[in-house]
Amino acid sequence: MKHADTLVIGSGFAGLMAALVSANQRKKVTLLTCGSGSLSLNSGVIDVLGYDEQHNYVECPRKGIESLPAEHPYSKIGMETVEKAVNFFLDFTRDYGFPYRGSLDHQLLVPTAVGTMKPTCLAPHCLDGTSLHGEEHIVIVGIKGLKDFYGNILQDNLQQSLNGQTKFPVVEVETPLLGGRDITTIDVARWLDTQEGRDSFASQLRPYVQSDNTVFLVPQVLGTKGQECAAYIHEKLGAEVLETTCLPPSVNGLRLQKMLKQALKDMNVEIVENTKVLRAVSDGKKVTGVVAEASIREKTYYADKFILATGGLYSGGITVREFEHPQEMIFDLPVYIESGEENWSNAELFSAKPQGFAKTGVRTDTSLRPVDANNELVYENVYVVGSNLGGYDFCFEHSGNGVALASAYKAALM
Amino acid sequence: MCVIPERMRFTMEKATVVVIGGGATGVGILRDLSMRGVDTLLVEKCDLVNGASSRYHGLLHSGGRYAVKDQEAAKECIIENQILRKIGKSCVETTGGMFVRLNIDDPDYEEAWVKGCAESGIEAKPITLEEAFRLEPLLSKNVQSAYLVPDAAIDGFRMSWQNVESAKRYGGRSLTYREVIGIEQANGELKGVKVRNTITGEEEIIECEVAINAAGGWAGKVAALAGLEVGVQPDKGTLLAFNQRITNHVVNRLHKSSDGDIFVPHGSITILGTSSMSIPDAEDTSTSRAEVENLLSIGEKTFEHLRDYRMLRAFAGSRPLYIPPGGAVGRSASRGFAIVDHEDDGLKGMFTIVGGKFTTYRLMAEKMADKVCAKLGNTEKCRTAEEPLVPEVSEEAKKAARKYFPAYGTNLAATRLGPERFAKVVKRLEEAPEKRELVCECENVTLAEFEEIAQEETCYQINDIRRRTRVGMGTCQGNFCALRSAGLFAKYGKHERAAETLTRMKEFLQGRWKGIRPVLVGRTLRETQMTRALYELSFHVNGGKKE
Repeated sequence: MKHADTLVIGSGFAGLMAALVSANQRKKVTLLTCGSGSLSLNSGVIDVLGYDEQHNYVECPRKGIESLPAEHPYSKIGMETVEKAVNFFLDFTRDYGFPYRGSLDHQLLVPTAVGTMKPTCLAPHCLDGTSLHGEEHIVIVGIKGLKDFYGNILQDNLQQSLNGQTKFPVVEVETPLLGGRDITTIDVARWLDTQEGRDSFASQLRPYVQSDNTVFLVPQVLGTKGQECAAYIHEKLGAEVLETTCLPPSVNGLRLQKMLKQALKDMNVEIVENTKVLRAVSDGKKVTGVVAEASIREKTYYADKFILATGGLYSGGITVREFEHPQEMIFDLPVYIESGEENWSNAELFSAKPQGFAKTGVRTDTSLRPVDANNELVYENVYVVGSNLGGYDFCFEHSGNGVALASAYKAALM
Repeated sequence: MCVIPERMRFTMEKATVVVIGGGATGVGILRDLSMRGVDTLLVEKCDLVNGASSRYHGLLHSGGRYAVKDQEAAKECIIENQILRKIGKSCVETTGGMFVRLNIDDPDYEEAWVKGCAESGIEAKPITLEEAFRLEPLLSKNVQSAYLVPDAAIDGFRMSWQNVESAKRYGGRSLTYREVIGIEQANGELKGVKVRNTITGEEEIIECEVAINAAGGWAGKVAALAGLEVGVQPDKGTLLAFNQRITNHVVNRLHKSSDGDIFVPHGSITILGTSSMSIPDAEDTSTSRAEVENLLSIGEKTFEHLRDYRMLRAFAGSRPLYIPPGGAVGRSASRGFAIVDHEDDGLKGMFTIVGGKFTTYRLMAEKMADKVCAKLGNTEKCRTAEEPLVPEVSEEAKKAARKYFPAYGTNLAATRLGPERFAKVVKRLEEAPEKRELVCECENVTLAEFEEIAQEETCYQINDIRRRTRVGMGTCQGNFCALRSAGLFAKYGKHERAAETLTRMKEFLQGRWKGIRPVLVGRTLRETQMTRALYELSFHVNGGKKE
């Protein structure tokens, strides 16, 4: 009978981080995954906190976190742990050759594909547009036939975002990819993984290098691995090359995912893919194992400690099949939910108020173990991380990967 | 300074007949009159088919629904059903229909219904339960008896546009985004119709001999502009669209007509409805959780696993029920139609047509056109039942196009576009391979098709393109195509600039949100979180206050 020290369920950012930090603690870790996790859907930058409950911009995430209400996951995790988690992540990305930058003191700004500047806390060099001020020679680069990149929108809105005095030119790069199915950023990134692609890309852009402050703004296409492609093109052109955040598939999310998975392999984490966990086996307040679907018969995985990173509403870890009746799908944990139609959602999809439904999730103690409505501990060896946590709206406050990182770090250390 | 005299503005647009309202009835009248050689102009305050003609089941009734209560309507339905299948091939999906009686339904009603169908000329073929479960595997095992009837699914948008296109070939004209704000009259005779361009705000008078008020739920308001009274009660029906094809057939509960008892499969979705609620204003298309819950709890009697399917959205429309003085309202009100000649009220040249249902729109238009032609001394006969709305796209043309389209998309595009536009789109695909990109994967819309439609004169807004191409109406409900439509419309549309795209994109998603919000449960929640993550996080379209 296999027995792990720590069993992590879910391979989004929270699950991968929880496995990584646990393995780093010299634990024997098993990671059960089902689907590909949500990193390919998000930009792989780490938003920690961008807006407060009143929708005020948070310039300093540290201060923002300190003024959050007690039921917010960050308040449970505690500032000190958030700090450590951020440092752990920065060290890890540096050690693995794809360094992120940023700190809890100031936001970074990342250009988006529609020309807005998105606040985030940690980002790789190739997405960090914090220093842009509109006076550079910015050249917007499109790829012929690339889906979901609209140079015209980027051009008009970026000029507005940066208070640019002149219109930024839009140029188009040709690739050998045209003529088949639709071209995505991943296709172009794979082309740029090749030497031939990189050289072609650089030589097509060279004529637009004007001065030493030329910045090329490109879709998220600079290679599928780390920073090597961005660095190569940067050096070839002697000009800055920046990516934008865009619709999925997110190449940068995949870079981060790839790096994390490599690290897990290096640390001998057992990764079991395509495994849907159905239910838990428990003995009083202690969970002893989880039962998963397997090809022939169900299989039970045993461990001392369980970290639940199944992605909440977003990824199906929590469902609300009928109004007012949420369900956590594996441990059947009590789930907090806003009740009443008027509290469930706002009339406007985008507004200055969080959405009630988005706060659906599990309430925990300060160790991130699930509690019920009376704050009674439900299980003593289950830890809840990422979007499964209740009481915050990650889209509204821009805190998804930040809560994932900090909660995963904390859960792994408990 | 040169002042344009009032008279000049009077003569900018002119027609013999002005039809008010671009719903099924209005476009039907436009086509009918145009085919008879009457110079006809249709005005619509929004885009075409903005009211009940698109906000309904999309059900081409066999008449079975009315076989007990209103055999006159049932007979009309089965006749029109056969006609529309013939003239509107690309608008009708011949799914067939099934009536099922559950264990909780009154067996006596079944007997009356079978008799009613026979008397109305509707073929209702009894089938065994084994056969019923084979045809509809998801049906509740509480079904006691089942019948097949010739129901079908019909696309209200397409049917209406094709009427307008058909009319165009005979000189019929239409103007969208023109709201009627006055009825011009002198000495008891109609002189014209005053309209406001709802986009530019410009006002003008269209001179005409006859005006036909076919404004559906708004007919009472239009009549009031002429100082006339027409009893129209807007009756709201709420419907749910599911992301899957839950049924193969149109499935009706075999019981006294009630809420939530019809499922209609359309393309890749299923529509469940409807409710019936009198409302003061036809503009009210709001839906609530209570209405959704009501439909679900009734619907799951027929399909027990209903709640496991993702709902795309809820939507509502208003039936324009005609209430003769002292008449009944709601479900007891007649689903028949009425034509009022306002000459009897002292205004010669003004008519109102109200009531009825989508299935019988052509018949209503024929009766209306007969009356108008009699008044105008036109003796041409109605030909709308014989001539197809649009020529079909030939098999050769489709075969040639398959080289450029995604396999599944060829037929969809052909039925959406008709032969002329289809040929133009294929040419675009031929000339530029990058135009083969799918702007909308859900509905298989290519960039070439989007471009072709976007440059048409009647496309003022992104939503006009949405209704014509179905971009944004499928599985993703705008998640991916909100960006694409905004970006492309900024590029190809005539009435848009790129700098406004963020606002347009948000408006587009807000429009989708209106229908999603009442069904924010189950799988819809996940999809919504993805929309929010993409647009609030990846695109940062909802920036907050900065000091």
